[in-house]
Amino acid sequence: MSRRGWFAGLLAATLGIAFVFLALPMVAILVNTSPGALVGSLGDGESLDALRLSLETSAVALALIVVVGTPAAYLLATRSFRGRALVITVLELPLVLPPAVAGIALLAALGPKGILGSALADAGVELVLATAGVVVALTFVASPFYLRQAQAAFAAVDPTLLAAARTLGAGEARAFLRVAIPLARNGLAAGAALAWGRALGEFGATLMFAGSLRGVTQTAPLAIYDRFATDFPAALALSAVLLAVSAAVLLAVKLAAGPEALGRARP
Amino acid sequence: MLALEARHALRAFALDVAFEVAPGHCLALTGPSGAGKTTVLQIVAGLLRPDAGRVACGNELWLDTGRDRNVPPERRRVGVVFQDYALFPHLSARDNVAFGMAGYARSERRRRAQDALERLGVGALAAARPGDLSGGERQRVALARALAPEPHALLLDEPLAALDARNRARAAHELQRTLAAAEVPVLLVTHNFSEAASLATDVAVLDGGRVVQRGAPDRIAAAPASAFVADLVGASVLTGTARAGADGLTTVKLDGGGEAVSTDVAEGRVAVSLYPWEVVLEPPGTPPAGSARNRLDARVASITRLGNRVRVGLVGGQPLAAELTAASADALELTPGDPVVATWKGTATRVVPLE
Amino acid sequence: MRVRAPLAALAAVLTLAGCGGGGGGGATPDLKVSAAASLKSALTAYAATFSAAHVRLSFGGSDVLAAQIRQGARFDVYAAANAKLPDALYAQHLVERPVPFARNRLVLAVPAGSSARGLRDLERRGRRLAIGSATVPIGSYTDQVLARLDPSERALVLANVRSREPDVTGIVGKLTQGAVDGGFVYITDVRATKGALRAIDLPAALQPRVVYEAAVVRGSDHTSRARAFIDGLLHGRGASELRAAGFEPPPP
Repeated sequence: MSRRGWFAGLLAATLGIAFVFLALPMVAILVNTSPGALVGSLGDGESLDALRLSLETSAVALALIVVVGTPAAYLLATRSFRGRALVITVLELPLVLPPAVAGIALLAALGPKGILGSALADAGVELVLATAGVVVALTFVASPFYLRQAQAAFAAVDPTLLAAARTLGAGEARAFLRVAIPLARNGLAAGAALAWGRALGEFGATLMFAGSLRGVTQTAPLAIYDRFATDFPAALALSAVLLAVSAAVLLAVKLAAGPEALGRARP
Repeated sequence: MLALEARHALRAFALDVAFEVAPGHCLALTGPSGAGKTTVLQIVAGLLRPDAGRVACGNELWLDTGRDRNVPPERRRVGVVFQDYALFPHLSARDNVAFGMAGYARSERRRRAQDALERLGVGALAAARPGDLSGGERQRVALARALAPEPHALLLDEPLAALDARNRARAAHELQRTLAAAEVPVLLVTHNFSEAASLATDVAVLDGGRVVQRGAPDRIAAAPASAFVADLVGASVLTGTARAGADGLTTVKLDGGGEAVSTDVAEGRVAVSLYPWEVVLEPPGTPPAGSARNRLDARVASITRLGNRVRVGLVGGQPLAAELTAASADALELTPGDPVVATWKGTATRVVPLE
Repeated sequence: MRVRAPLAALAAVLTLAGCGGGGGGGATPDLKVSAAASLKSALTAYAATFSAAHVRLSFGGSDVLAAQIRQGARFDVYAAANAKLPDALYAQHLVERPVPFARNRLVLAVPAGSSARGLRDLERRGRRLAIGSATVPIGSYTDQVLARLDPSERALVLANVRSREPDVTGIVGKLTQGAVDGGFVYITDVRATKGALRAIDLPAALQPRVVYEAAVVRGSDHTSRARAFIDGLLHGRGASELRAAGFEPPPP
């Protein structure tokens, strides 16, 4: 075999392994679920509540993340300031935090005995064991996914283009909205897809910080866990639905950015 | 009138410039890369705030560090053509041009943008994306974009550098016409002296952050103020030591061997510059004839064809170059390594003191 | 030449991984024990003294652990906080006959500084409760307690429930964090918090029958050691650790 041949073969083999490893569990869910169980799962009020709650809380979390995160990422990408490296490290930390630790951290900050606990109580804001708390937990764990991608996307925008916009009469805000964001669109969409996916799947931090109560805080992953103990087929069915929903979300966000976001290999 | 004075510390040296450009005139800033040319443009455009300086355009004061005044780029009526044109890839040519006219209603913006494109001969490409255009077309769209908002000053950064050699001459000609018609002060930056000469009637040479010579291009070429300028304008530069010689001529003992006489007056360490097209090559052993006083033995180092001309690189103690017609080069049957004699006139020998 | 180093490293990693899984075929074998979350401190102390094997403990809701065994998880011992779950596994021939090894008491736990004296205090509007989910033993015991209340009182309690946790650890956590004002847990859990929580006893009429059962999982490679482990819960060090934690002996 020529030298070129063996290396190309190795690349193909590693991709094959990765693909099978990642695809197999998901295929298993779909294969093991009978259509009847699937439909039954959808008709089940508890499942629908859990799915609805998952979609609502993750959508709100994503909105918060995008609205606050996009300008923040732009600042990080286009300006240097003292302490920038530290800020970036802190913003990335939730990525490597185990969800349970994230839950504890949130409690320590925002729980009744937490740093802001009394301030929140005085303001009448109830986060722990409330739906708002689910949104907070999801926002916390999913933000870094968006921030990192958005920052990279903005950093890849040619600064000369932004300078050109300025010389053409666009202030910083207009240059950001009309030049930076359209050019960073694909990266922003990828980040949003990742963040939304992470938020949909969040379990540990939500359980710790917001608890688990049907219709209020029991998101789909929590419902699946609850079900798993006594009714494995129902857990499978709900998992299949969540899998389909996650895939749809991923696709929708990417398509919203434009057809190029689906990713093209180097020609 | 565009007036600039600025002092700004750069990595290797300090920029210290001051000049004015009248409306309808074009000043070309030339010099090697890193001399600070682009920095000057950025200061005028408002993209860089110098350590100290003042920029005024007409009766608008754009920058005055002494009075803590610094108008941001979006409020300076300045048009900029960037080195790689910086066209917005996600917008059509027309939308690119319309971008700078946010003050108008949408239909008005589009109409003006279309007009601007047509004035530059690219009206038919209005709906195309920059990625689908050729280098020359992009340059014209970038010009249209800079001119459409009717700026009070126009800045160009290496306007011909991104074009291939074939199109450059024609583009230079068209650009020169456009700039003349613009009726605003134009400041242009290029590292290529002959480009500066073809686009502007006023050239300033920038070296180490300072203007070392300013004037009409042919004056600069005829009388470069320093070895650096001479080299920039394309002359061969030889170093040596000068003393007054016979007949009121200056004799220069060239480093590396040989002598040259010049009608210029100088003494001490000097740089001798002569243009390749003033050098005549003879086969070795030819007895001197004609009025060329300077003769130097040299060896052919390289031969480069440039259409109907040939540029011959020579080494004779120091490197120099000669340009001949292709026919003459063929007649001499030159090959690298051959010995030749380079001759040129004393009146074509410029001598400047060596710093 | 340059390819060899990474390949060698890869081979080394795979060998080590293989070694780890083998469980050390030499001296002390591993004994994998899955146990209810409420048994954590007692069993951890007991396991440290069990010389016949290296005990590896997994804690969680008894229902989730049973589901794992049903899915084929290779535990050696299963210890649950009720009889129902082990009996169901026995009926499915997944475990040997279960053995009751302890009793526990359900209590209403409140944070140490709370002024609450009884369930009535926690039925007031605005009070927050955490209980177990319906399928985990602590949750099903709580449901039994609530079923014995009269309907209006039950409605008041349920209205205040803010979370149905998958195991007692979650309930205890919410209590110690001050996230809820009360929760139904075992007396042993309150003792384990060493004063952070206070237990309010339930009236005898409401107290459910809480019996813990353990069983050897069929298909285990270490059945004799597994039986010895369970035996220790009844007669040996296990029993004394259970007592120390506040568990009562099993019914005769």
